[in-house]
Amino acid sequence: MELTLDFICAPSEDVVARVIEDELIIVPLAAGIGDMDSELYSLNETGKAIWLHLDGKKSLRSIAEEMAEEFDSALSLIETDVLGLVGELEKRKMVVIK
Amino acid sequence: MIQTTSTKIADFSLWAKMRKRRAAFSFSLELTARCNNDCRHCFVNLAANDRSARSGELTLQEISDIADQALAIGALWVHLSGGEPLLREDFSEIYLLLKRKGLLVSLFTNATLIRNEHIELLKKYPPTNIEVTVYGVTEETYERVTGRRGSFAAFMNGMNLLLESGIPVRLKAMAIRTNFRELPEIAKFCRAHTKDFFRFDPQLIFRTDGDERRNELIKYERLTPEEFVDLERADDERISYMLRNCDALIGTESVHGCNDHLFRCAVGNGTFTVSHDGKFLLCSSLRVPGMVYDLRQGTLAEAWNEFAPKVQNMRSHRPEFLESCRSCDLINLCMWCPAHAYLESGELDKPIEYFCQVAHARADAIQGGVNLKQTSMLKE
Repeated sequence: MELTLDFICAPSEDVVARVIEDELIIVPLAAGIGDMDSELYSLNETGKAIWLHLDGKKSLRSIAEEMAEEFDSALSLIETDVLGLVGELEKRKMVVIK
Repeated sequence: MIQTTSTKIADFSLWAKMRKRRAAFSFSLELTARCNNDCRHCFVNLAANDRSARSGELTLQEISDIADQALAIGALWVHLSGGEPLLREDFSEIYLLLKRKGLLVSLFTNATLIRNEHIELLKKYPPTNIEVTVYGVTEETYERVTGRRGSFAAFMNGMNLLLESGIPVRLKAMAIRTNFRELPEIAKFCRAHTKDFFRFDPQLIFRTDGDERRNELIKYERLTPEEFVDLERADDERISYMLRNCDALIGTESVHGCNDHLFRCAVGNGTFTVSHDGKFLLCSSLRVPGMVYDLRQGTLAEAWNEFAPKVQNMRSHRPEFLESCRSCDLINLCMWCPAHAYLESGELDKPIEYFCQVAHARADAIQGGVNLKQTSMLKE
């Protein structure tokens, strides 16, 4: 199933996200989450902003629109970033599609 | 947009940020001082049925509170140790609680109490690693060390359950008089089962409870400096590391520079220990009255931010210390530290002859007796 901007996503219950030293760190809890050999994930500033918007209520399109306004950036660029990151996270089972 | 890491947290950009300030990166949590084994060399174990030790142990709620406080000061990693952590009937609850808080969890165990229910839990919620100590590879040696009949079979059963499940296990050994002859077989056994990790430790320290009878036993179990060094020489990996890092191991200036600071190590930087009864320790060996902080009476933030720096800054004016251990170039090859000195002698700044002998033997082994500024204890 291809991810589109109409999807609504939320962080998986099998990960814990923490902000340490202003960095967003994601720790997988359960087996099969993330890569086999990875313990921790860190998102850059854009990734962190996207993650913090994933509330299981807003569509990815709404998130992109909010962020485009927040960061005063082109909507098309933000949409690409949102789809790219959420796609990666979904592959790793770190977000779930509602 | 995503950065990942395995166990190489040092490669993470967060690590650099945490090192810039005195962040609490990890901590050891001693779930109990009790153990089902009675190892001859152990510096902490109390009997499995020790009522007093048991009644003083942190409750699940207290552990949860301390973990929350540790998270608040930045902790990422917790090492569960003991005694034997699996003696706690609520071990699974504790483990899951810490995992759910987002901590990376490591477990140090003798593996003798591993059951299928633990395997199910650890498979579903994998630990960062499990370290198991191998005391011997024959029933006779293993049980002479542990003092408990049936412990070898229990160990083999637990270890096989772990290995068959694919849970990451690291095997390690204590090198003591009782298993000395079997060490080559122990090393072979460990390396055969865990390819990427094996280490042995011949450094025995005295009991934290000061038990004199047990300390005599520990003294007996210590290898001579010559045996200590021969063992290191026989381990290619270890001696190669020591030779490669010779400059860092010998003659390195300490954290505080060459002055009258008691501590030359990085104690209280990056890590701390919480004892089974809720005491904050700068390291697991440092249990000197006045140098521990009771987390049942105060907060971890106070302990870390206010109490620990005071201990770190303690000084000694004892000439014997200032002229020997304080300024010795072999400090990184030596077991000496204020905590170990205290366990040995009841004094924080007293040189300890055995440690000194071992450090000199190690230096000779890796440098062939280069003229160094060494402690006075062994000088002619």
